[in-house]
Amino acid sequence: MTTNDLYYLTITEAAAGLRRRDFSPVELTKACLARIEAIDGKLHSFITLTADRAFKQARAVERELHSGNDHGPLHGIPIALKDLYATKGIRTTCHSAVLENWTPDRDATAVTKLQEAGAILLGKLGMHEFAFGGPSVDAPFPAVRNPWNTAHIPGGSSSGSGAALAAGLCYGALGSDTGGSIRTPSSHCGIVGIKPTYGRVSRFGVVPLSWSLDHAGPMARSVEDCAILLQAIAGYDAKDPASANIAVPDFRAGLRVGIKGLRVGVPRVHWFDESKGTDPETEAVFDNALKTLESLGAVILDIDGKPFSIARKANQTILVCEAYAYHEKTLQTTPMKFGSSVRRRMLEGAFLGAADYITAQRARSVLNEQIRANFSRVDVFAVPGAARPPEAFEKMDPNEQNLRPNFTNPFNLTGLPAISVPCGFTSANLPVGLQIVAQPFEETTCFRVAYAYEQATEWHKRRPPI
Amino acid sequence: MATEITLDQLRAKALQAGLALDDEELQKLLPGVNRARDQVAELRQFLSDATEPAATFTALTVDKV
Repeated sequence: MTTNDLYYLTITEAAAGLRRRDFSPVELTKACLARIEAIDGKLHSFITLTADRAFKQARAVERELHSGNDHGPLHGIPIALKDLYATKGIRTTCHSAVLENWTPDRDATAVTKLQEAGAILLGKLGMHEFAFGGPSVDAPFPAVRNPWNTAHIPGGSSSGSGAALAAGLCYGALGSDTGGSIRTPSSHCGIVGIKPTYGRVSRFGVVPLSWSLDHAGPMARSVEDCAILLQAIAGYDAKDPASANIAVPDFRAGLRVGIKGLRVGVPRVHWFDESKGTDPETEAVFDNALKTLESLGAVILDIDGKPFSIARKANQTILVCEAYAYHEKTLQTTPMKFGSSVRRRMLEGAFLGAADYITAQRARSVLNEQIRANFSRVDVFAVPGAARPPEAFEKMDPNEQNLRPNFTNPFNLTGLPAISVPCGFTSANLPVGLQIVAQPFEETTCFRVAYAYEQATEWHKRRPPI
Repeated sequence: MATEITLDQLRAKALQAGLALDDEELQKLLPGVNRARDQVAELRQFLSDATEPAATFTALTVDKV
């Protein structure tokens, strides 16, 4: 096999090839690094490359594999991390001048777990500064670009994770999601990403944006790969106060069960047409995805979208208050170290009061109850991954995003697990995602539905023209 | 809708908060701050007196679920 044959393998395929000795972990690492060298100058998905360390790790895991010490499907697989996961001895910047030279002295729990699973770290990925605002045009590192069209944004805040996977620069990645930061770049880059249930994956060592809304999770090129990555990083961690002490199931066990009789709730009424509404082309692609789910035996039902629509307001209020609280000292002393976009969003939190924050947390109680009540009628919710396709950098309008429905925020507010899987393309050849949301700690249901859809379609096999 | 706050009010609040922001920066912040205040006003409309916040204190340390 040549390196060209290797870099677009899925984790599942690469794991099988490693065990057949078709290629080695060192060859997989070489293939990714060669691909990064060839095209990442156009994408800027990596902030820090750890090539020497990756080769050292690759040689070590190769010896382990050949001696029969097999750690499972991630053993020997090159991956990368959003640059807000603390990595011992490796610079962790959050794409910001504030942390430009920070080298942590310990690993995030999720990073430790990936290492224990035998994954090889290629480096740290670009993102929206501190996982907030938009693409950072005045940060110390260039903004990440979309491999499907480099004039367009890749979505964020896990922008580097989305772009690197779509372009074949790594086999899996970690992102984080406070208002859609895993699912939006997954949708915009044509890959798969899951925001697990709040508490499923430890946030220890993940630089916070908003404690009560932050979720850590995986991104990959297939549903099964996402399940493999989540399996490695899920589980109780006493170091994270929000970690749930609940059993971790086998996320791949139910993948092939199918969705006959599954009730899919679509909260279209009062939501999809909110303000400027959902982009018509996106909605048409989404409707086709629903037809595919129906053809697989699912039953599509309308549910009221009103509480979902209101949830954005509570989510954003909590987010800016908590983000300001975390960054208050830096905003008081050296505000200009932040890029303008993230600085202005965080500063909104300085001008809201304690009663405002508590009002949002009270609304969260009501909305959580109203949204979850739908599970008496349906098994999952389905919505687009984003309300519109990724826009061009030059047409970016930070106010525009508030004029469209936000299909991701409600599931941070409620903590529900939500996966985005590729479901089509616009006429401009930009990807669209289908989001499936399940009950708390029912990630297996997200995977089952997304896998059934993925296997019935070809969207996930398309590659960007880069 | 919440009562709109003015640039003067924002300047005073910034000083109280220990933020050294010039008028140009405050002017850019103003629309976002007013939008954030409107959002909270909308949320207030559908809360009853009995609604408690999502995050509540517990005196016992138990295994979290």
